[in-house]
Amino acid sequence: MFGSPKEKMLTQQIENLKLQYSLIGRQLDHSVESLGSLKLSDEIRYRTILDMDSVPESYRRGGYGGIDRFKDLTGYTNSGLIISYRSKIEEIKTRSTVQKESFKSIAERSADWKRDKDHSPAISPVNVKYRLGDPFKFREVHPVYGTPRMHFGQDIEVPYGTEVYATGDGIIIESGYNSGGFGNYIKIDHGNGLQSLYGHLSSIKVVKGLNVKRCDLIGLSGNTGTSTGAHLHYQIEQFGKPTNPINFFNNDMTQEEFSEMIQAFGSKSKFR
Amino acid sequence: MLISFFFRIDYLCHIMPRTKYKFNPDSLSFDRVKLGVRTLFFRFLAYFIGSVIIAIIYWAIFAGFFESPKEKALEREVEQMTIQYNLIHREMADVENVLEDLQKTDDNLYRTIFEAEPIPSTLRDGGSGGINRYNALEGYSNSSLVIETANRLDKIRKRIYVQSKSFDDLIDLAKRKEEMLKCVPAILPISNKDLTRVASGFGLRIHPYYKISKFHSGMDFTAPLGTKVYATGNGVVIGKMSSLRGYGNNIIIDHGFGYVSLYAHLSEFNVRVGQKVQRGDVIGFVGSTGMSVANHLHYEIELNGVKIDPVNYYFENLTSEEYIRMIEVAAKTGQSFD
Repeated sequence: MFGSPKEKMLTQQIENLKLQYSLIGRQLDHSVESLGSLKLSDEIRYRTILDMDSVPESYRRGGYGGIDRFKDLTGYTNSGLIISYRSKIEEIKTRSTVQKESFKSIAERSADWKRDKDHSPAISPVNVKYRLGDPFKFREVHPVYGTPRMHFGQDIEVPYGTEVYATGDGIIIESGYNSGGFGNYIKIDHGNGLQSLYGHLSSIKVVKGLNVKRCDLIGLSGNTGTSTGAHLHYQIEQFGKPTNPINFFNNDMTQEEFSEMIQAFGSKSKFR
Repeated sequence: MLISFFFRIDYLCHIMPRTKYKFNPDSLSFDRVKLGVRTLFFRFLAYFIGSVIIAIIYWAIFAGFFESPKEKALEREVEQMTIQYNLIHREMADVENVLEDLQKTDDNLYRTIFEAEPIPSTLRDGGSGGINRYNALEGYSNSSLVIETANRLDKIRKRIYVQSKSFDDLIDLAKRKEEMLKCVPAILPISNKDLTRVASGFGLRIHPYYKISKFHSGMDFTAPLGTKVYATGNGVVIGKMSSLRGYGNNIIIDHGFGYVSLYAHLSEFNVRVGQKVQRGDVIGFVGSTGMSVANHLHYEIELNGVKIDPVNYYFENLTSEEYIRMIEVAAKTGQSFD
């Protein structure tokens, strides 16, 4: 009927504790919220861009356990309260662990993605002030041999001595004179089965085995090999099969932009 | 307590005679003393109070030495709650550290992938909630009033911002016909409920391959491969191109009234050239064809032959708050995806 002073004191303590719990509850809610926003940026930003599968919600929640894990907490007046906080914390912990793992795999994948991006031969090998010569096509009459022949690259008509740049990061796998027709030529392996070839050069500035970055100066154009005039022969091979190189770069830059790009890359490059 | 009280009454009844006599020296006889009601009452009260006090003392002594079951239960409760509180508190601290780490990782990832400073978390969480923006105002008397006022001012400022941004367009629109409202591009080309899909806005952006600022003539939305792309207004498909470079597979829709919209890097088409489309029709699916580094949709709007910022043309399905966020997010992005 009447509470003893001690009882009153204890009840008061419980009330205080409840208040403290609710304060922590706010923190918990905040954590849940920020985890939610992390999940959003994980799923929608990174996984979408990097073309990765999304992490299923069931996996994020963590499959094990349940109320049984807190069996020793039952039997108190405030059991429900305590258990709800404990399980919330457990959930946050699982979620953040999953999130950590997910970010780890995203970081790995994004490094790959960046490398692919940098290695792709995505620019024009010479500054854009040029006229495109013979494209990737079957030539009825070869200018030198006079016979029908497949032309496996794109001819770019540039003056003698024009600077030729690597079109993507890669490693020089061949450089030297090719008596078969390319003259002085360079071949770069970009990975992912892509190789680019630059023919009829007058001067070669790189050696075999060198790692090059996009926009590194690799040689000067010329008229060596089977050629009737100064031009650059640009060829791209995908898994050993020549493909049309015109599909690998956009014709959307001005001369100034190209020079700016060369400079921007040059300042970052360790080579040259 | 009550028992002891009754016991006392009973006891009193036994030891006290029922009638009292008093010796009268004048008459040399014993006169019967008559007690008044008042006296009786006060006497009873005195006994009652005395017994109550004794009862309380007994009870206090008892309670001091022995615990009642209720107390025991409460004590157990307090103990358990304290233990659990400390546990939760400790774990909370751990969790917050972990979350902070995650936040940092997220920011780093954002930096590497978008090549831009991460969007502040307030923006990311959406709305103006989260961090207390009016911290500086707290601690003064009337501070709640000041904060509320500042809050309101903030909201008003935001509204004005939206108004001024879209007013010119709105006035223009209001003057023209209903038909035009149906044709002008007015919705997002992909479903984007939380606006997190905006990857790059209109204007100078870092080119993913060239690494220089290049004018980006549209907006980029990241979306998984095969996400539906909607026509943003009624019109006629005037162009459909498949290309391995540039825009890749792209669709051009003429909306009339000088508006033309372009949807690029699609994986598949869902329309023919010459086909009439309604706003919201699925015209194709997101892909990464052409000069693109990831699955995304490149969306452009042209008005009278001039490319304009598509961000001003999402008035159909965005609230003003969402619209502001959209503008801010689009302005913050650093790298385009083509």
